[in-house]
Amino acid sequence: MYLKRIFVLGASMVALALVTTSCGSTGGPSSSTSKGTIRIASFNFSESIILAHIYGDALKNKGYTVTYRDKLGNREIVEPSLENGIIDLYAGYAATDLNFIDKRQGVDLEAGSDAKANVDKLNARLSSKGVKALDPSPAIDQNAFAVTKAEADQYHLTKLSDLSSVASGWTLGGPPECPQRPFCQPGLQQTYGLHFKAFKSLDAGGPLTYAALKQGAINIGLVFSSDGGITANNFVVLEDDKHLEQADNIVPLIRTAVANSDVTSLLNSIDAKLNTPDLTALNKSADVDKQDPADLATTWVKGHGF
Amino acid sequence: MLAAGVLGAIDDPWIRWSWISGHVDVITAALVQHIQLTLIAVVIGLVIAVPLGLVAWRSRIFRGPIFSLTGILYTIPSLALFSALVPFTGFTVLTAEVGLVSYTLLILVRNIVVGLTSVPDEVREAARGMGFRPLAELVRIDLPLAIPAIVAGVRIATVTTIGLVTVTALIGEGGLGSLIYDGLLRDFRTPLVVGTVLSVALAFMADLSLAGAQRLITPWSRARATT
Amino acid sequence: MNFVNQVLQWFLNGAHWQGEGGIPHRTLEHVAMSGASVLTAALIALPIGIAIGHFGKGGNLAINISNIGRAIPSFALLVLAAQVFGIAAASQVVGFGAVPAFVALVALAIPPMVTNSYIGMREVDADVREAARGMGMRDRAVLLRVELPIALPLIMAGIRTSAVNVVATATLAALVAWGGLGRFIVDGFGLQDYPMMFAGAIMVAVLSLIVEFSLAGAQRLTTPAGLRPSKSARKEEPIGTTFDTAIA
Repeated sequence: MYLKRIFVLGASMVALALVTTSCGSTGGPSSSTSKGTIRIASFNFSESIILAHIYGDALKNKGYTVTYRDKLGNREIVEPSLENGIIDLYAGYAATDLNFIDKRQGVDLEAGSDAKANVDKLNARLSSKGVKALDPSPAIDQNAFAVTKAEADQYHLTKLSDLSSVASGWTLGGPPECPQRPFCQPGLQQTYGLHFKAFKSLDAGGPLTYAALKQGAINIGLVFSSDGGITANNFVVLEDDKHLEQADNIVPLIRTAVANSDVTSLLNSIDAKLNTPDLTALNKSADVDKQDPADLATTWVKGHGF
Repeated sequence: MLAAGVLGAIDDPWIRWSWISGHVDVITAALVQHIQLTLIAVVIGLVIAVPLGLVAWRSRIFRGPIFSLTGILYTIPSLALFSALVPFTGFTVLTAEVGLVSYTLLILVRNIVVGLTSVPDEVREAARGMGFRPLAELVRIDLPLAIPAIVAGVRIATVTTIGLVTVTALIGEGGLGSLIYDGLLRDFRTPLVVGTVLSVALAFMADLSLAGAQRLITPWSRARATT
Repeated sequence: MNFVNQVLQWFLNGAHWQGEGGIPHRTLEHVAMSGASVLTAALIALPIGIAIGHFGKGGNLAINISNIGRAIPSFALLVLAAQVFGIAAASQVVGFGAVPAFVALVALAIPPMVTNSYIGMREVDADVREAARGMGMRDRAVLLRVELPIALPLIMAGIRTSAVNVVATATLAALVAWGGLGRFIVDGFGLQDYPMMFAGAIMVAVLSLIVEFSLAGAQRLTTPAGLRPSKSARKEEPIGTTFDTAIA
């Protein structure tokens, strides 16, 4: 009697598992009408998610099946995933991606202030990996270093060179990879001669870094130039007077296997229409006003006719 | 000491109902994914734990190593286990499941063994005296009497797994954990609250259903104060 | 084998033993935070569990509080605590992110201790209580000289469960800007530096095992001789009936 009950119970559990498994499969254009599947990844911050969904929405409108790996991680995770064919596309940043790939391949760092040159070099490095970089956008988001207004006033700080007198007693905050990224801590050391007392591992210009900066747990933090919350939080971005940061224009990095002319021209036209003020406004809506990155992307796509 | 959020300045209400009503699809998808991940982990965990438990029950030699191995898996911090699997199995459901299943094994195996060893010797002797062969005795006497302990283990394993699924948000899965993670990344309270409340509610419902299931299949067991 | 060598090299690297981010400091942070949380939780949970067990009222709550505690995901608890208390509270004194980590860990540690001390107290044989009262002992004496010693093993078991849980969950606190050994795991994953990550995981696992075994030893020591199970009669309790486990 009880055996039968156990059997029924077990069978229903397995059935439930199967049902919910099939429930979870996403709908989309059926394979007979879809032009193909494109898997888009984004980094761990809102801007990347917005860009991924801008590309994805536009591609979906053109009849492609799009799947997202949002907040997949930082570049150390995302870029290898692209090379290994786990994802097909992500919105990169020309100079940072170039230096990252240079370092990965063990060659000298090549990023410069010309976006087109950066992209050409990217293509040179990536062609053997089955990846290409498309056209760079005028929209730029590069590393920036912020202090609180109080600090800026106290030490008369307007540019990064002004830090030489205080750096040795200060704590720098940023994402875990900052001590290894040429545009982050090592760059500050080499280009500006700034040796900070300590580094605190937080996040990529996110709430943890902002909180640490506001509360004085760090003196200076890595933020992004298009961040939406800088003014809202009364931070001062110090000017990069010695041009440590190079041309970090937004550029799609895509596997050549999916980069047909249709996809390529669509992504390039999107890039042409992106600009930094728009990006900053979108970031503010996502991070400060807590709007949905995906929704913001859809609105942008509609508004620009994609 | 009470701060308005991680940032401390921007006032974010604990629940924005407009967000909830506008994101029912996202919330539902997260809930469904959470249930799937949990069910798969517990079912597979049982499939592995039952033979392991039977071996550990019968064999004194293997009991120690089996308990030690499942115990060691248990002490590895969840974040470390999931992260460590990524280079081998990628950011996939497989990675999440291998980790989740590993954590169920100690609880399930241990409870299966204890349940089986708690069958009184007299009962087993009586069964043998009545002519039951070993397999029949196992299936019709030992296992049914071990059910209360086994189901207690399944209940704990299920509730624990529901909590652990949230950590898989960091390797790209997450279920309701992805809502919690979004709350962390954007300093945004509503998905954090929704993810947490639903996770707790899910755990309660699972626990109650399993308790009810246990009562159904073992009508002879008195409801102990501890179950 | 190459990877094992890489992990070994990571441990042998002198730079990893120095400074705020070095192994000794992170270990100390981790141990201090775990100890403080378990101690604080014990100060709250044990009186409650013992009182409920002594007076026999509110037993249902005591049992179910463990279920409730287990149902709250620790990841969510940490992020919620960061939202409520802010990660910078008291950061100059106890370190960045320490306050929400502490609050979340105390909350996590309380349920197993309440449940186990309650059950420990209830398992005291009614006859033994009767005998004690018959000998003229008053309520407080019964509690201190009869009930508590008998309940002590289970109380210790609850502390042990909480301690192991706390050590494991403290690794997650690195996600809300705290330090501890979890820092190696979180940063290692972020940098895709797998030797660092594995090293962190190994250290936490070792710490958990040390805590588990030393408290198991303490539990055995505090068990009155007459109650220690003989080797042949030793029975293990199934998890979920009296003992309790939950993991980060």
